[in-house]
Amino acid sequence: MVFGQILLTLVLWQSCSGGLIPQPLKILSAAGHLFTTRLLLDNVLVSLLLTLQALVYSVVVTLLFTYLSVIPFFHAVAQFIVKCRYLTLTGLIFVFTLLTKDGSQLKLSLLIFGIVPFFTTSFLSVILHINKQEFELCQTLGYNRWQMLYEVIIVGKADQVFEIVRQNFAIAWMMITMVEGLSMSEGGIGALLIKYNKYNDLTNVLALQGVIFGIGLCFDYLLGVLRHWLFPYTKL
Amino acid sequence: MIMKNYTKGEILLQAKDLSLSYGDQCILRTINFSIHDIIRPGFQQGQVVSLVGRSGIGKTQLFRVLSGLQKPGSGSITIRERKPTENADGSIEVFHERDVAPGDMGVIFQNYYQFGWRTVRQSLLLAARQNKALAGKEEDAIRHYTAQFDLSGTLHQYPRQLSGGQQQRVSIIQQLLKGSDFLLLDEPFSGLDVCVLDKVVELLLQVSLSDELKTLIIVSHDIATAVAISDTVFILGKKEGLPGSTIVREIDLIERGLAWERGVRQMKAFDDTIREIKECL
Repeated sequence: MVFGQILLTLVLWQSCSGGLIPQPLKILSAAGHLFTTRLLLDNVLVSLLLTLQALVYSVVVTLLFTYLSVIPFFHAVAQFIVKCRYLTLTGLIFVFTLLTKDGSQLKLSLLIFGIVPFFTTSFLSVILHINKQEFELCQTLGYNRWQMLYEVIIVGKADQVFEIVRQNFAIAWMMITMVEGLSMSEGGIGALLIKYNKYNDLTNVLALQGVIFGIGLCFDYLLGVLRHWLFPYTKL
Repeated sequence: MIMKNYTKGEILLQAKDLSLSYGDQCILRTINFSIHDIIRPGFQQGQVVSLVGRSGIGKTQLFRVLSGLQKPGSGSITIRERKPTENADGSIEVFHERDVAPGDMGVIFQNYYQFGWRTVRQSLLLAARQNKALAGKEEDAIRHYTAQFDLSGTLHQYPRQLSGGQQQRVSIIQQLLKGSDFLLLDEPFSGLDVCVLDKVVELLLQVSLSDELKTLIIVSHDIATAVAISDTVFILGKKEGLPGSTIVREIDLIERGLAWERGVRQMKAFDDTIREIKECL
């Protein structure tokens, strides 16, 4: 059904479009050409590496603040991080430039700053909705507070942390093109996209958008598979 | 009726002037009862006590207070703890009295709640590791109990893969492995079909015979099954003109020859007792 709908859209697009908007076959051919060059592979790898690096740091920062949010002082900090979702990066880029020593650090810190509020929001919501019986079972087993934290929040919610990472990978992947435009010397798919965009090469821009979209979907699927493999009970 | 030879020993658990209120609403009022160690020569006889009452009378609140999960508004619950300690004069004192705390009682919730992320084996291991007496022998104890309770084939399954009956048995084993002398069960007969019900009753009797000090406290509104399995019944009800629920009657089923009898349901005294309880509710 979905495949049919996509096919129909592409056929309509191919037959109706002309002028400035390139036809699907042209985009497909441009994408094919991109795949034959090392340019795409190198830039995709740079972007993927940066995204994964940002994800790892973001998860660590998020977990640190959400686990510590059980302490009143850190609860307020975690709540502030949640509210940071409404901050725009645009005005803060200069501040980050002053705080970091090179382009690579700037991109990484901007990504982390962009991702952490969303991770924290999702994970705090998971903690807030923990079934009271999970803690009560721990109490009946004679667990102390640290054992409860380990069993119910760290081990018990590990699968949900993974799911949050999967859901928020999209945010990181979406932001990558933006931050890579700030420091283009290291390349990356975002830098490549900006380069094509600068020369109004819409065929290659759309081909690259297709590649970005495809990689995003692949990662979403892979993270889903990995989650089921690591936490088999999520399949039940 | 054959009178069985028994004596009542030390008090194992005592609820003293227990009250619980939510705001202005009194839920439990001056609850007093005690559970004694029943000694039967030639038997390793534990205690089975039932707390019966109508739905909404406050049984679950009393269950939570007894388990230590909820603090009472006033009053106390004292338990006799088996913890050998050496006195200053060198003598060993085995038992101590102290207020109940969370973790003292083995608690089996009505929905047999288990951690969804742990397999049966992992869940049981978590409990066994809390029991110092099992140090180094946790796996053996798990094998022993799961074989005894017909659960050997489920060790690597998750709670969601188990039937209700299997989940109940896992909960019971988990709390047994934890090593508490007291086992508190909330509505263990609710929602079970006749065949499973018989199995559960058999299982609980088996547990009560596993140790002299093993004490099962069953909170239930299934009066017939509760009477059939218990040695003492406490009726939770309301007294006219007074707010909150309290223990309105204690029935000693041993005195009536109704305890430890397989065919108890066929006895006339059983029917009379059920009628008597219903009149108190």
